[in-house]
Amino acid sequence: MQGEPVLPPAIGFAPMAEYLELFQTDILGQFLNPKKRLFLGYLFTAFLISFLWLYLLRHNNVKQVFKTIFSPVVWLSRSSKLDVVCFFINRVLFVALRPMLITQIAVATALYHFLHYQNLFPLGVFSDTSYALSALLFTTCFFLLDDFARFAMHYALHKVPLLWEFHKFHHSAETLTPLTVTRAHPVEGVLFTLRSAVVQGTTIAIFLFLFGQQLNLVTILGVNVFVILFHGLGSNLRHSHISIQYPKVVERILMSPAQHHLHHSSDIKHFDKNFGVALSVWDRMAGTFLHSTNAPFTFGIGSETKQYTKTIGHMYFLPFIKAAESICSLARTKNTIFRNYNYISKQEANEEFKETRKC
Amino acid sequence: MKIAYFIAMAATGAICAGTAFADGHANHVYGPYPVTLLGYQGGETNSVSYSGQVGRQLLHNSLKKAMSSGASIDVLNGYFNGSDSALELLDPKSSDKFKVDVTNINDVSKTNLSGKAYKGAINGWPGNMTGKEVLASMIERGAASNKGFDAEHGYDYTQLVSKFAMGAVFYHQACDNYLDEKLEADNKPNNKPYKKGKHYTGKEHSWDEGFGYWGAAAHGATLSARQNYDIAKKKDMGAADANGDGVVNLKSEMNYAHAYYASSFDKGGVTDYYNTITQAFIDGRQIIVDAKGQALSNSARSDLKGKARIICSNWEKVIAEAVFKYAGSVYGDLEKLKATPGDGKLYRKYVKHWGELKGFALSLHTSGQNLGEVGVKMDRLIGHGPVVGSVSPASLNMMPKQVDGVDGNGNFTMKDRTIDSYMVHMLKVQKLMEDEFGVTAKNNDKLSGIADIAKVLGSSDSAEND
Repeated sequence: MQGEPVLPPAIGFAPMAEYLELFQTDILGQFLNPKKRLFLGYLFTAFLISFLWLYLLRHNNVKQVFKTIFSPVVWLSRSSKLDVVCFFINRVLFVALRPMLITQIAVATALYHFLHYQNLFPLGVFSDTSYALSALLFTTCFFLLDDFARFAMHYALHKVPLLWEFHKFHHSAETLTPLTVTRAHPVEGVLFTLRSAVVQGTTIAIFLFLFGQQLNLVTILGVNVFVILFHGLGSNLRHSHISIQYPKVVERILMSPAQHHLHHSSDIKHFDKNFGVALSVWDRMAGTFLHSTNAPFTFGIGSETKQYTKTIGHMYFLPFIKAAESICSLARTKNTIFRNYNYISKQEANEEFKETRKC
Repeated sequence: MKIAYFIAMAATGAICAGTAFADGHANHVYGPYPVTLLGYQGGETNSVSYSGQVGRQLLHNSLKKAMSSGASIDVLNGYFNGSDSALELLDPKSSDKFKVDVTNINDVSKTNLSGKAYKGAINGWPGNMTGKEVLASMIERGAASNKGFDAEHGYDYTQLVSKFAMGAVFYHQACDNYLDEKLEADNKPNNKPYKKGKHYTGKEHSWDEGFGYWGAAAHGATLSARQNYDIAKKKDMGAADANGDGVVNLKSEMNYAHAYYASSFDKGGVTDYYNTITQAFIDGRQIIVDAKGQALSNSARSDLKGKARIICSNWEKVIAEAVFKYAGSVYGDLEKLKATPGDGKLYRKYVKHWGELKGFALSLHTSGQNLGEVGVKMDRLIGHGPVVGSVSPASLNMMPKQVDGVDGNGNFTMKDRTIDSYMVHMLKVQKLMEDEFGVTAKNNDKLSGIADIAKVLGSSDSAEND
C-alpha cells in the first residue's frame, strides 16, 4: 500500500521502551481493571467478607480477626514469596507472548464466517428478540459455557499426566493467598488464554450470527454481571487461609472457598476433587464433588513440593523434564493418557505425600 | 479603573482573535499564490492554475448524470472524450438554493477524461483491458442498458463508471504522475515555466494539478467535515461561497470526487482525511512558493515528497474506506435479499452498492503502486460481478450465479456461486481493508459487533483458571 511518511527513529531502544510501557500497563491493569480478579475493589470485598466471617460467625475479636487475616505465617511464607516472584516473571513473559496468541476476535471471526455455510439456522434468525432478552441470554450462556470450560480444562490439567506436570506449579503452593491464582506455569497460562479465546469467540460468533449486530452483555459498571458477582463475593478467598463454607445446599450449586481449599489438599482422599470455579454442578455431574470440611489438612503436592520449588528454575523447567518422562512412560506402558488414582494403592499415595505439613 | 481594564482586555482579545483568524485563514486556504517565475514580465499576479482538472471533475459529474438519465453513447462519449461543441454541465446545475457560475464545461476548460485515464492493465474486470479501455467498455455497455442498469448481470454502469473514473483519472494522475515523477529534479523544474509562455513554474503547476484532481474547495480546510459534505451535496451555499459574490465558483469553491468522500467519512468524527490531505497540499505549495522561482533544493524536494506521501497514503485510505463501506452495504443487502427474494427495489439498491464497491476497488490499482497479493485477493473476493439469480436476477435464492469472464463475442459468461460464500467474501474484504490499508472510519462494519462485545468481555489473554 502507499508508503506512509517516513520519520526518523526517535530513540534507538523504542521497542524496549514500548515493551516496558506495556508491562507497566499490564501490571497496573491486574489491580486496577475491574475485569481482573486481583482488582483492588475485589481484594477489599474479600477482606470485608473474611472480617465479617471471623468476627460474626467465628466470634473472634477484632484483634484476632486482623491477626488471622494478616497472619505472617501465611503472607510471609516462602510459598507466598514465590507467588510474588512468579507473578512478575509470568507477567514479563506474557506481555511478550501475548501478540503471538490467538485472540477471541480471530476465533469469533473465523467461526462467524463458517456459520454462513451451515443451513440449520439462517443469519439473524432471532434478530427480532428484544435487546434486553438477547443480552440476558448471551450473558447467561457465556457464563455457563465459560465456567464449564474452566472446569473441563482444570479436569484435564489434573487427569492428563503431561498437563499435570505443569499444573503442579500451581499446586506446589503450601500457603494460599489471592496472588496464588496467578501462580501458573506459562504453558498453563497459554492454555488458559486459548481456552478463553475459544469460549469467548464461540459464544460471540454464535450469538451475533443468530441475534444480529446489536448484541450486548448485562453489565454492572461496564463489567459482566456474573464476573462482578463472582469476584465481588469473594473469589479471592478461594486462594486464602480463610476457610469460608457455604450451607450444604448452596455448596451443591456454588463452589465455596473452603471447597476449593480441599482441592488444594495434599490428603489422598481429596485428590482430583472440586475442579469447578463458580459452579459445583459440573463436579457433581463428573463425580468429583466434595463438600467442605472442618477437619484440618495441608496444601501442596507432598514430597514433590520440595523438588518442584527448590529454585525458581526448578519451578519453570522441571515440568518440561517430567512431562517428557511422562510421555516416555506412556509409550512404554501403553497406558491411558488419563491419570487415575484408583490404580495407585492408598499406601503408595500416602508414601508419596508423607512430607506434608500442617497449614 | 475596572472599566478601563475590561476595555483593554477586550481589545487585546479581539486583536489576538483577529490575528489568529487572519493567520489561520492564510495557512488553510489553497491560493492565491504569487507569480514567482523569474523574468516573468506579464500582468498575472496569481500563479495558481488547475482549471483543466476542474473541467475533468465537471466532465465526470456530468457523465455520471448523463448515464443515469439514459443518454446516448454519443452524449456519453462527449463527456468522456471531450467535444469541440458546447458540453452542457449536468451536475452541479444552478438552482435558487445553490447557484453556480458554469453552464458549459468547455468554458472552464476544453478537456477530456479519456486522455488521462490509466493505461495499465486492470485484471479485476473481465476482458483483459487497460483502465482506459475498461471505462470505454463500461460506457458502451451502459449506453446499451436501461439507464445504466444491467439487471441480468447485476451491473450499475453509472456507479461503475463514476467510481472507477475517479480512480483511473483523478487518483491515478495525481499520485502516479503529478505527485510522483513530476516531483523529480529534472522533470518540470521550478526555475522554468511549466510550458513556454505560461506564468507559473513547472513545480507550481504540477502541484496545482494534483490539487485539482483531489477535488477540494480551496477554502475547504477552513470548514467542518459536515460543511464540506453539504457543499458537495449542494446543500450549503453559505459555506461554499467563500468570496461572498452570491454564486459558487466551481473552479475553487466546490468539493468533488474523493474530497467529497473524505468529508463523508470525516463527519463520523473518527478520521480527518479531508483536512490532512488538503493541508498537505497547502503546505507543499508553500514550499514551492518559498523557493521564489529557483530550482527546488534537494531538501525542499524531499519535504515536498513527504507531503506527497501524506497526500497519497491518505487518499488511498479514503478509497479503501469506500471499499470497506460498500462491502458492508452489499453484505447487508444480501442479508435482506435472502429474506425477501425477488424484491426488485432492494435488488436495484444491491446492484448500485456493488457497482460502487467494484468501482472503488478497481481504483486502488491505479496509483502506480503494485498492490501485489493484496490486490489479487481483493479482486478474487469481489469477483467480476455480484451474485444474481438465474431465473430472475432479483431472486437470488434460485440458482445464484456470478459473471466470471467474457466469451469470444464479448458476452459475459457466468458461473454458479452461493450467496453465503459471497457474503463471507464481503466480510473478508472488510478485514482486508482494515489489515492492509488501515481504515479506521469503517462505515457499515459488519464485524464491529465482534470487536465491541469482545471489548466488553475483556481480554482473553491469561484468563485465570484456578
